[in-house]
Amino acid sequence: MNFFASCFLVIACVLLGAAANAATLIAEFVDGQGKPLKDAVLTLQGPAGKADPSPKADMDQRDQIFAPHVLAVRTGTQIKFPNSDNIRHQVYSFSPAKRFELRLYGGTPSEPVLFDKPGVVVLGCNIHDWMLGYVYVTDDPWFGVSNDQGSLTLDQMPAGHYVATLWHPQAPDMQPVSGGEINIPAAGLHTRFSIAVQPKGDDTPAVPAPSAFGDAFHKAAHE
Amino acid sequence: MKRRISFQARIAGVLILLLLIVIGALAVAVKAATQDAVRKQAQAQLDVGTRVFEGLLEMRGKRLRDAVQLLSSDFGFRDAVASADSATIRSVLQNHGARINANDMFLLGMDGTVLSSTVAQIPEGTAFPYTQALRDLKAHNQSMLIVPLQGKPHLLVESTVLAPLPIARVVMGFSMDDDLAQELRSLSGLQVSFLSVVHQLPGQIISTQPQPLYDSLRGVMLSKGQDEMLMTEHANQTFLSKRLELGNTGDSNGDQVVALLQSPLDQAMLAFAPLDEKLFWITLAALAGSLIGALLLARSVSQPVRALALAAERIGEGDYGTPVNLERSDELGLLAGAINSMQSGIAEREQQLAHNALHDGLTGLPNRALVMERLGSAIAAERAVALLYLGIENFRAINDSIGPEGVEHLLRVIGEQLQLPLRPGDTVARLSGNEFLLLVHNAEIDSAVAVADRLQRLLLRPQRINDHDISMDACIGIAAYPANGNSPSELVSRASIARQDATQLPGRLQVYEDGRDLAHQRQISLIRDLRHAARNGELMLHYQPKLDIRNHRARQAEALLRWQHPQFGNVSPAEFIVLAERTGSIQLLTHWVIEEAMRQLAEWGRRGLQVQLSVNISADDLLSGDLADRVSDLLKLYRVPAEQLIFEITESAVMREPERALLVLNRLRECGISLSVDDFGTGYSSLAHLKRLPVQELKIDQSFVRNLDETSEDAVIVRSTIEMSHNLGLKVVAEGVEYAHSLKLLERWHCDTAQGYLISRPLSAAAFEAWIAKAHSSPGMMIH
Repeated sequence: MNFFASCFLVIACVLLGAAANAATLIAEFVDGQGKPLKDAVLTLQGPAGKADPSPKADMDQRDQIFAPHVLAVRTGTQIKFPNSDNIRHQVYSFSPAKRFELRLYGGTPSEPVLFDKPGVVVLGCNIHDWMLGYVYVTDDPWFGVSNDQGSLTLDQMPAGHYVATLWHPQAPDMQPVSGGEINIPAAGLHTRFSIAVQPKGDDTPAVPAPSAFGDAFHKAAHE
Repeated sequence: MKRRISFQARIAGVLILLLLIVIGALAVAVKAATQDAVRKQAQAQLDVGTRVFEGLLEMRGKRLRDAVQLLSSDFGFRDAVASADSATIRSVLQNHGARINANDMFLLGMDGTVLSSTVAQIPEGTAFPYTQALRDLKAHNQSMLIVPLQGKPHLLVESTVLAPLPIARVVMGFSMDDDLAQELRSLSGLQVSFLSVVHQLPGQIISTQPQPLYDSLRGVMLSKGQDEMLMTEHANQTFLSKRLELGNTGDSNGDQVVALLQSPLDQAMLAFAPLDEKLFWITLAALAGSLIGALLLARSVSQPVRALALAAERIGEGDYGTPVNLERSDELGLLAGAINSMQSGIAEREQQLAHNALHDGLTGLPNRALVMERLGSAIAAERAVALLYLGIENFRAINDSIGPEGVEHLLRVIGEQLQLPLRPGDTVARLSGNEFLLLVHNAEIDSAVAVADRLQRLLLRPQRINDHDISMDACIGIAAYPANGNSPSELVSRASIARQDATQLPGRLQVYEDGRDLAHQRQISLIRDLRHAARNGELMLHYQPKLDIRNHRARQAEALLRWQHPQFGNVSPAEFIVLAERTGSIQLLTHWVIEEAMRQLAEWGRRGLQVQLSVNISADDLLSGDLADRVSDLLKLYRVPAEQLIFEITESAVMREPERALLVLNRLRECGISLSVDDFGTGYSSLAHLKRLPVQELKIDQSFVRNLDETSEDAVIVRSTIEMSHNLGLKVVAEGVEYAHSLKLLERWHCDTAQGYLISRPLSAAAFEAWIAKAHSSPGMMIH
């Protein structure tokens, strides 16, 4: 998924850079303790870039997890939910930003889902409770998700003044927080964002033990 | 009998007491053990039941939680909850809650606010009271919450609604009702009660116990004390109870749910009731058995003991013939044997003792006691019986010649011989050393005399003992019943008197004469009193003057003893001198006489009266040995010339032991005392014998002198005696001169001295003195 995102961003940067004085923003995300924070979303509001008339994105399901875990898209993006597993999934969301339900399916459904309202859309699978994915829908033109090392690189950005907004699944109340305003010089900017994250709630379902025997054993041992 | 009963009772009492103690201890132990067992069982049951109860409750909680979780995972439910439409949410809550029989349903926001509620008390929009407690559940790995809700205990379970992130929490309450209690009861085996307490106020009680116990149950459940087993009593039923506080809300206002688990003790105790009953019957049987056993045991001991006691009593009464029959091999049997042998031993020894008591050890003849008894029985039966009292007179001489062993032999021979003339049934008894008593039944005096005569002749026959021929001189006194008395002692004493009398008789045989016992009594008194007569001043000397025929002067006298007895008055010397000689007190008298005579001589001598006194000396005095010494001492004491004393000795006294007598006489003569032979002519002494004696005088017995006349035989004897005496150089005294012609004859025959009533009767000292004085003044009056 990062790969796709990166590709997408690289293409965007190349396009932007080609258009104006292209600058590169390298953002690093840390949590309250200063540890690298992955799956952090950064959106920037500033000089408009070129508009993509019909943006598209994919939220894959692989090994019974959503990939990527966090997907940031612009408002109006059509997202496909291909199923790479050999089992079926029933993807749904009760989030106000987008309520939808994809009935049990395998492979890639024909119709992508349109995310036309900004906000956080929490994805789940009705038959795999531990499957959890986030689609961050934003109106801002510039945005990205930090990689496993907690860093994000945006290329081909026009130098200028931006208003940064930060979000992370474990941000308080899952609300976006302000990242302040930043100036990106033409030479590019290497900056650091800190997001206070809450530890994962213990009421989130965990992946069950893989074996049926283990499951039975676990049950027997606890009752 | 009394003792036997008490003995039995004592044994039985002790046994029964012991048994009661044992059974009592057993019963207490069993009771304690059963109670303990019941209690432990109840405790174990309660423990197990409590764990089962807790486990069941936990399981139920998990099941409910799983059910709620399942429910909350339902897509439709989640969809409905996510719709945020409160009416829809409430309806879905009710719908889904009904699926799992939940009573109360709540939907909470993630912050604990009530989003939807089916309970009016907890309206929407308020904070759910148990939010924190529910949060803590997971931390404590618990699945449910037990809370008092609407006055009833409830189980609360919670589940998070995932969409897919947690968006809400659904809470479902299950009231803990009678069904639950019954179910728990059937599984745990315990009586189960629940009670909710809100604001210290108890709510409705839910219990498997019957309604009437609720009040007291409530009391127990409201008391403090967790996890303690209590003995509680409800309407007379005992339970082991355990109070559990189920509420885990952690509320400080005291809201809680209390469970009471109870194991009934009574039923468990009831299981031991048959044991108690059995124990009771065993006790009863053992008591009866031991009572019978004790009585039998006591009887088996007390009956033989009683038999033995009776036997001992019998033996005590002198019955030695009946043995104790006790066929036993134990100690009592041994005792019976010992008693039997004791009885025969006692019988044997008693027989021996009785024989010894009633028989003479030497001869085997009956003794005095036995003969007295037989005599008594003869008298009692009024049977005529004659007593022969037999004494061996020469016993002492026999003893001297054949010695004690010979005497014993002889006595046995006598014993045999005495029986010869007797008929069967008659008795020969030995009374003392030489005295025997014969009882001859149905005998008059005459036939008794015949028997006595035969006995004497038998005994006179010489017996050859130790190379000596012994013939016995038996004196026999006879008394007869009823002629001579009617008591045994009287008869025996009279026979004895007769026997004493017989000793004086030539025939040696005397039948008792009436009155002899009185004479005998007087003799005994005299003998007794004679000894003290001198000391009591009852004795005195009288003096009979002697006339010197040739010159008609009186210068001699014979001292004669007089006894003034306080009771009998003047006692004749002829009576008491014989008794004194017989009893040996004659020496006392002689001593007194000699001393008195000397005293009188000395007194007269001081007044110028010179008299020659003659004193009678007995055979015993002669033989006593110290006579000469005593006399010479007295002569010195009173300073009396020995020439003034003449000792008169009878022929028989000298004849008894001539050698010793001669010795004494010689010594007396050496002292200067003159000696005179008294009563000459009555004995058998020969003149030749007289010649050997150191005598100076001879006294012709008065029997020859009293009736002296010229022609009588006495005249020849007297005259020849005088001549013969003169030829031997002896002077001659004639005593008993009573007539003047006698005196003239004596004078003609040249008799030296005359004594008798013709001259004077015996006179007291004073009268004698006066007589002498008178005679001197007129010598002619001396002859009347």
